[in-house]
Amino acid sequence: MFRKASIMVLVLIIASLIGGIGVHAASTNNVKDFLDYLSKSEVTQLQTVIENIKDTHQLDAVIVITDNTSGKSSMNFADDYYDNNGYGVGSDYSGLLMLVNMQNREVWISTTGRAINIFTDSRISKMVDHVTSPLSDGDFSSACSIFLSDIIKYAEAGVPSGQYSRDSGSNTVMSYKDKVYLMMNSYPPYIFAFIVALIATLIVSYSSKGRVTIDNRTYEENGSFALNGKRDDFLRENTTRIRVQSNSSSTHRGSSGRRHGGGGGRF
Amino acid sequence: MTSVKEYKCPGCGAVLDFDPVSQKWKCYFCYSEYGKNQFDMDEQEELSDTDMPELDSYTCSSCGAELIADSTTSATFCLYCKSPAIIKNRFAGRFKPKSVIPFQLTKEQAKIIYKKWMNRRILAPDEFKQKEEIEKVTGIYAPFWLFDCKVEGSISGDAKQTTTWRSGDYNYIKTRYFHFARNGHASYNRIPVDASKKLDDKFMHMIEPFDYTAMTDFSMKYMSGFMAEKYDVEASEAEVVLKQRAEEYLEGRLRGTVDGYSTYTVNNKLFSLSDIASSYSMLPIYLMINKFKGKDHVFIVNGQTGKVVGDTPLSLLKQITFFLGVFIIAMIIGFLGGALFV
Repeated sequence: MFRKASIMVLVLIIASLIGGIGVHAASTNNVKDFLDYLSKSEVTQLQTVIENIKDTHQLDAVIVITDNTSGKSSMNFADDYYDNNGYGVGSDYSGLLMLVNMQNREVWISTTGRAINIFTDSRISKMVDHVTSPLSDGDFSSACSIFLSDIIKYAEAGVPSGQYSRDSGSNTVMSYKDKVYLMMNSYPPYIFAFIVALIATLIVSYSSKGRVTIDNRTYEENGSFALNGKRDDFLRENTTRIRVQSNSSSTHRGSSGRRHGGGGGRF
Repeated sequence: MTSVKEYKCPGCGAVLDFDPVSQKWKCYFCYSEYGKNQFDMDEQEELSDTDMPELDSYTCSSCGAELIADSTTSATFCLYCKSPAIIKNRFAGRFKPKSVIPFQLTKEQAKIIYKKWMNRRILAPDEFKQKEEIEKVTGIYAPFWLFDCKVEGSISGDAKQTTTWRSGDYNYIKTRYFHFARNGHASYNRIPVDASKKLDDKFMHMIEPFDYTAMTDFSMKYMSGFMAEKYDVEASEAEVVLKQRAEEYLEGRLRGTVDGYSTYTVNNKLFSLSDIASSYSMLPIYLMINKFKGKDHVFIVNGQTGKVVGDTPLSLLKQITFFLGVFIIAMIIGFLGGALFV
């Protein structure tokens, strides 16, 4: 009796699983293709890569393809979709979401948590550039693969040195503690300390033998120095300008109150 | 006329030594003190202006034993009876010094100064610092050439003025290029150049400056109780060193007048020296030799000012510890300070 019941339950579970897959043939947990642009095998493959990213880099990755954003802007829809569907790894819900909005032919990448620091504005704009051309060619599968491989690339590179956040529409700035933590994860303080220590050690070692304490004036007859001639001829001038390489991540608040970063473009 | 001079106490006939504390001559036998003109009044006659021939050997005028002295040693002590012995012909003729700065520190004072100085060498090994005895301490009148000269010279080169500002997404750098030229002159007095090959030129340069206000006309009497060396670097050889130093001083002064630039480089310089005059002088130093791990470490204490220089041994362990200490402090400053600017 009990045995029969358990088999029944098992059958039911399997049936419902098969049924579930059948109903949303082109969607898994992290790949939501509401327009069936991706084949079943492409979706499964993308999901596998995403699982990998989650394991290796503790970052969630979500791909949403839709033509209905319920009247929201791409940015708001992407942020809300991420927040409302329980995505994110860790207490700060780290991860990224790429929204392909066919309504406006717009792509938007939203970042959350740790991903805000890793995926700076300049990196996001590069990622957006990378996916725009396959998207405008209608090659959605390639666009998604490129998106995921960019995530892996930048996650491996880590937080760029000197990264900082610029919060828009909110007064919350990075706390001093966070900044100190950020400095500890960048190279400059270590290089600075190494150079200072090396110079100090050399100076102290060298001066242990005593120092020369006379100068240019020690033996000079008082008032005997005279400058007879002084010329300063202006030759030319030039001005160069260099684009400021920004490592900032601009952020904003989603309707849930969580902080998001990101950027997008049209295709 | 004897070739070795020693000064005898007019009271008891024992030998007189120069005492740096009282700046007088002391008899350690009867405790009498004498001023410079209170004994051996006929000295001026004995200081010959003409060269005197080198002898094969010199004998101590107290005990008659043969003096053991290098060919440049002009004042020493008898190995047997410890009496000060001054070899007169090595202060005669072209070896007659014009001036002398008498010792102002005693051997004991010099030792104390050296020990204090050594205790401040933070990278020196503790075993070396804690050594009680110094192997050898010798008060020596070292031969120096003192040069007076005039230098005239010019420098010229390229200079840059850079200003930076930010506007929008761009940093702007404006560089203004200039050519500059300066010329000037200065006179220098009594630049000392080491005239002994025995003594290390580098250390002899480092114990400068001497205070010339205490300088007085040379008298062999000051040599009594100390070692002395005669010069074995001719004035013409020493002039090469002088030239380099005097040019460096004037260049430094001219560079000091180049201002208002972010950076500049001197591409051309030209100097000429004139009115070079040299005078031979004896300046006081204490030479100390301290052995450490089988190696002699030489230290020199300025016998007038007490400035110390020398070949301090370094402890690798202390160097590493010091490096790490500074590294950690600088790193923390880097974290805390850097965070203010991100």
